[in-house]
Amino acid sequence: MGFQTHLKFPEQKRVFSMIPALQNAEFLRYGVMHRNTFLNSPKLLDRYYRLKSNLSISFAGQITGVEGYVESAASGLLVGIETARRLLGQAPVNFPAETAIGALALYISNPSITAFQPMNINYGIMPVLEKRIRGKREKNEAISRRGLDILDKLNV
Amino acid sequence: MTDEKSVEKSVMIIGAGLAGSECAWQLARRGIHVRLHEMKPDKRTPAHVTADFAELCCSNSLRGESLSNAVGLLKEEMRRLNSLILSCADETRVNAGGALAVDRHAFSRLVTEKIRNCENIEIIPGEVIKIPENQENLDNNINNIIIATGPLTSDALADDLKNLLGADFDLSFYDAAAPLIAFDSIDMNHAWMGSRYNKGAADYINCPMDEAQYLEFVNALATAQEAEVHGFEDKKVFEGCMPVEVMARRGLDT
Repeated sequence: MGFQTHLKFPEQKRVFSMIPALQNAEFLRYGVMHRNTFLNSPKLLDRYYRLKSNLSISFAGQITGVEGYVESAASGLLVGIETARRLLGQAPVNFPAETAIGALALYISNPSITAFQPMNINYGIMPVLEKRIRGKREKNEAISRRGLDILDKLNV
Repeated sequence: MTDEKSVEKSVMIIGAGLAGSECAWQLARRGIHVRLHEMKPDKRTPAHVTADFAELCCSNSLRGESLSNAVGLLKEEMRRLNSLILSCADETRVNAGGALAVDRHAFSRLVTEKIRNCENIEIIPGEVIKIPENQENLDNNINNIIIATGPLTSDALADDLKNLLGADFDLSFYDAAAPLIAFDSIDMNHAWMGSRYNKGAADYINCPMDEAQYLEFVNALATAQEAEVHGFEDKKVFEGCMPVEVMARRGLDT
């Protein structure tokens, strides 16, 4: 079902079975509610998701305050690439803010952010286009094209 | 193994979720040895059901595919960076209009299989309750530690991180996972398949109610008994993932 709940399990069965199509519904799993923990990343982490106070420790995924499946995997991807390069004696990629993967890392580690809350990727944390483009869709597509062009030229 | 360890560089990753699995893959494909620690299946969180890696607990959707959407851009970047998670998602995708949705079990099984078959990744089962101290790491040739324990970090490790990081570890909010219903138990005489917002294919099951049924339902929802969640009295819910009973209490047209 496309919603969350933390009613008691018998209550979930009672209330959701009031929907005609779900009169005899079999629950494979009941909704559960849990505490989500995340770091004050803008204070603690650098752009490689490393702990500024101990550079041999990095964090990845939702514990850093990136929100969502894709963002979690993206942070792990960046940490994997940059950690490998460091261990192999190569220069960091330094994904720029014009790429979504870079924008997320730079947002999470931006020390000027106070009252930090978990963040999905969005165009608002990426630099604006130099040229004005009319229409939201066209503007967003141009930002995406710019990001992919820059990504393709990076030495990864 | 003990004879060779003096030359080998190794990275310790704690947690084989989406982030830990992807991170392990990226390190391994660049020739770095990874020790991947995962506490499942011995110990699970309130939201995890299976023993597989990269389990999708909330929905089966990796959201929009379009390049007019920031998450669409992020996914395309990840494909170009040889993401394990994106390649497994693309391989196990199911129809969901403009979104990248996956068969959640096939997806997690595929990620697990690829990680298990990767020769540079050593899987170490069991819960990590303490971040190793620096000297201890050097003795084991661990050059880096990557903590990818997710929003449901176990209590023991959370306590250790609190010691390491102080109050800056203490941020948190409350989240909830959706109930799952067996498809064959749904009475399709009272439901129909449709697309979301009339976009894409008809992959969503719509379960209609008439006005009287709806009013009764919302009232029951708003007054039903909630499970007790430790510390939930502060009511910090995430707006994008709000419990349906909280919505019901906000009014009929929410």
